[in-house]
Amino acid sequence: MQFAQLSDRVDGNGSVLDVHALPGVWINSNPNTTGIARMVMSESDGKLSLQVFAVGPEGLIDWGSTSVKVFAGLPTSKVGAGFTCNFDFGFAEAELQGMIMKGLLVLAQFHRFKDNSNRADFFVREYFALEHD
Amino acid sequence: MSSELGFKQTGHLDSALLDPAAASNVEKLLGRWANTNRETGGIAECEIQRDGDQFRIEIFGAGENELIPWPPVRTKALANLEEEAGQRTIALAATFEFGFMKSEIYIRVNKGVLVIVLYNTFQDDSGRSNYLNREFFYRTK
Repeated sequence: MQFAQLSDRVDGNGSVLDVHALPGVWINSNPNTTGIARMVMSESDGKLSLQVFAVGPEGLIDWGSTSVKVFAGLPTSKVGAGFTCNFDFGFAEAELQGMIMKGLLVLAQFHRFKDNSNRADFFVREYFALEHD
Repeated sequence: MSSELGFKQTGHLDSALLDPAAASNVEKLLGRWANTNRETGGIAECEIQRDGDQFRIEIFGAGENELIPWPPVRTKALANLEEEAGQRTIALAATFEFGFMKSEIYIRVNKGVLVIVLYNTFQDDSGRSNYLNREFFYRTK
């Protein structure tokens, strides 16, 4: 078995993950954010998708929905503990990496501009809480 | 900053993104770093060097008897407009390709501690779950 670190050297027993912790409406803990205000994670046929709503000058901007890749906390675990996904806006790309920690979703965002506007590519890390019914 | 620029969030229009200082303050990341957890089965050590306008990241995974050197990667800095102790920080993001696995990582410094977050994707049909990990490092030189 190939490995790049000892923690990779485990026997696998299938790759279907329990994703129950991820679906729902996630709200940014910072009401003054200039980035993502809320996210809606949906499950269909065991697959997840994420719709993002970000803060714009004149209200929320719907980024639309994209498919999500789920990650466990260990290579032997079958419980989803985080995810990655990408949005391509043409003028820029946004890569999202989420990790659930103590009930909070810690979201790292990587924004890379493609429009020669000389804007610096940037990184943001924010916290989201699951909205209760 | 002109609102004629493309944007999908107000942050895309932050004038600080045109400030050359937005991606400065890189010295905090440079050097050799060791995992605070000596028993880690993940990344044991990391070395970050400046290479022109890029950064060279060298990672050493924990092995049975010796460290496992990962193929070095080069990447550009990402500005981080949040402030830490009154100073803007930066982050690095990179992807390591092993064939059987891909590791997407990001690196940042928080109060002198280097934090590496990994998202590992297995590509070898071994049945291992894709997994994430977060580890902490102190500077050794």
